[in-house]
Amino acid sequence: MLGCGCCALSAMAGGALGAPWNSPARFTRPTEASEEGGLWAIMEREEARLRRSAFLVRDRSLNDYVSGIACRLAGDHCPDMRVYLVRTPLFNASMAPNGMMQVWSGLLLRTANEAQLAAVLGHEIGHYLSRHTLERLRDVKSRAAFGQFLGIVFAAARVGGIGSLAQMGVLAGLFSYGREQEREADQIGLDLMTRAGYAPAEASTVWTQLLDEIKGDAVSKEDYASRSVLFASHPPLEERQQVLADAAKELARPEATHLGTEPYRAALAPFRSLFFEDELRRRKYGETLVLLARMQKTPGADGELEFYRGEVHRMRNEKDDLDQALRAYRQAQSMQGAPPELYRSEGFVLRQLKQEAQAGNAFRRYLELKPAAEDAELIQTYASKE
Amino acid sequence: MTKRFSRALALASLFLLATTASAQSNRAEGFSRLPPGVKIALMPMDIELFEIGAGGVAEPRADWTTAALKHVKDLYRERKARMGAQVVDMEDDSSEQVAELNRLHGAVGGAISAHHFGLLKLATKEGKLDWSLGPDANVLRERSGADYALFTYVRDSYTSSERVAAVIVAALFRVQVQPGAIQQGYASLVDLRTGQVLWFNRLLRGTGDLRERDKAAETIDALLTGFPQ
Amino acid sequence: MRLRKAVPLAAAMLLLSSCIAMVKMEAGPVTVKDAMSVTSDGRWNRLDLPALSGGSSEIWTSDGLSLDVLTFHVGIKDADPLAPAPMGSKRVPPVFRASMVANEIVELYEATATQDGSTFKLERLAPVQFAGASGFRFEFSMTRKRDGVALRGFAHGAVIKGKLYLIAFRAPRLHYFAKHLPRVETTMRSALVKS
Repeated sequence: MLGCGCCALSAMAGGALGAPWNSPARFTRPTEASEEGGLWAIMEREEARLRRSAFLVRDRSLNDYVSGIACRLAGDHCPDMRVYLVRTPLFNASMAPNGMMQVWSGLLLRTANEAQLAAVLGHEIGHYLSRHTLERLRDVKSRAAFGQFLGIVFAAARVGGIGSLAQMGVLAGLFSYGREQEREADQIGLDLMTRAGYAPAEASTVWTQLLDEIKGDAVSKEDYASRSVLFASHPPLEERQQVLADAAKELARPEATHLGTEPYRAALAPFRSLFFEDELRRRKYGETLVLLARMQKTPGADGELEFYRGEVHRMRNEKDDLDQALRAYRQAQSMQGAPPELYRSEGFVLRQLKQEAQAGNAFRRYLELKPAAEDAELIQTYASKE
Repeated sequence: MTKRFSRALALASLFLLATTASAQSNRAEGFSRLPPGVKIALMPMDIELFEIGAGGVAEPRADWTTAALKHVKDLYRERKARMGAQVVDMEDDSSEQVAELNRLHGAVGGAISAHHFGLLKLATKEGKLDWSLGPDANVLRERSGADYALFTYVRDSYTSSERVAAVIVAALFRVQVQPGAIQQGYASLVDLRTGQVLWFNRLLRGTGDLRERDKAAETIDALLTGFPQ
Repeated sequence: MRLRKAVPLAAAMLLLSSCIAMVKMEAGPVTVKDAMSVTSDGRWNRLDLPALSGGSSEIWTSDGLSLDVLTFHVGIKDADPLAPAPMGSKRVPPVFRASMVANEIVELYEATATQDGSTFKLERLAPVQFAGASGFRFEFSMTRKRDGVALRGFAHGAVIKGKLYLIAFRAPRLHYFAKHLPRVETTMRSALVKS
């Protein structure tokens, strides 16, 4: 179990980050005519559109699970929150001042346990509880940016928004929270996590993981802000890793060590293939490999993940990728949970490497394991040719 | 002055367009008017307002859009008497079926705009307004209790003052000029028993402002010109 | 219609009107890209666009480009993409290899069709006679990213003398796919590759 094993047990709550923080009372809906009321109307409209989105993940179980975590973190504010899961393979979560929270599937794929998800959600709840967004909007200029920003934030779920990711990143950057607000949200997020019993060290881990992933893809090093709206609107990253790690040490308590690795794995299990296939479609193979390597260090690692590793290499198909793919498929064969499709993919790779006889064997193995496959007839023709 | 200049430019081009394009019928064959006292389902409107920044990129303005939606809704309610119909607001129906039909209509509306009123005419349609949502429109009829549905679509862009300045500077240096605001959209009436689009009024012009209530009224009038009642 | 930038709509339309058009495909045999022939039932319209004229793709429709779309990919060569990369993309689009089997060609189709973030699900893949050769047929569903419309589709393809010939049809799941399905099946069955 990961944890803050070496941390001082006598750390004070709040410690190096300042005075102990108390959650404010629940917010009341502003009067319609007020400036804040106007913003509320904007968010309600966006929320109505979000509810109609074709990209919403509507599964009750998964929604209840994520809402449950958010609710525990938000405490008294739980009744004011509504969580929406959006199917899009990017890392993002956001919370609007009217209590509407969005979590993108790319984030759910990347957080390794409940504590890490809680860290991100807690951070966003931190912005909400401190009313940072509304603070930003005192300035008229920011209002326009907020209007634009909402467009970006909802781009994944809505119709007719912004075109490119890079543009999204740039505009999100324009709207970013100030350093002080970031610090505050981090502090609150850590505090909420810890109060809920989660290991605070996991907060820093989330950012470390994301940075590693981005560095894994040569193309994206330059424009990593466009990889994630969360990135662009919450700078700067490397520095925050360290600050969060240090702060976590201060906040460590013997009762705050919960990771929730197994419940998280179980809740996401029915969706892992779907979300991973969305990830593959991004065709950012370098990043995906880093993500996979990390996922394979967790207890949920199984033959299916090794199969996916083979798929990434097979699809990228550069330099020694085909050999790497074969290695992965063979490794997967000795693991639990490897899908029959691995033999089919192995067959494709062997064919490309001109090892026809072995390819035939692989295709036949696939058919043995999946006689009612949706492509059985065709695979049969490949198998007989070899 | 600068904003008017770029709008005038756009308007002039549009006039040219209007004269070259032939007039297309905005009614389905065999349809002329709605019977009296009908119920019309008002579908969640697809309205988006943009600001065109100095770089020429259109950025969505959620605050303007929210204001526009409110104005349009209020004005539709006011025009209820003129429409001579009962209006059923479908905004709060968050069912997947209604959402899917609304999305489908978006695609149908786009097709009618481009291929019936626009330049990409489909010779196979022989000039007729002949598009449908199909028999699944009945689901909407059941849920709303209405026999017809009204769909609204607006994409409206407004130039910022920096943008207008950039346009003028470009023109002075004889660089390709990008015009300013364009308002495009449609109002569409669908028969929910068959799914057939009965009436379609397309809007495409260089004027119009949905951000303010009094100016929005003019756009609504334009959208509903010739509403068959 | 979305405005990505301040397009001089009217000016653009005037310019384009001279080189963009929909052309009716009269009933009878039609040659596609000088290399394939199909029989039109007289209710198809071909999109004529400068960007397409030099390439190996042709697009037909009956109800409009946002609704039913029949795409012909004719004689795609080794190392060529199925379609050119979307504008402004820094990414290299996925390419065809003459040694590909049907499954891999489906992956190529999927990778091309999902570049804009649309989702894709393969429903069925089976051998079929196409254009006088042993080919394949695949059926799929998609959710189009730009407007969230659920689509259904199917395609017939074959690799003939090292080149890919593929006809793909996509239309909204609601009403439009079923409306045109029988006609499209007929069109696909009539396809022949000119030798």
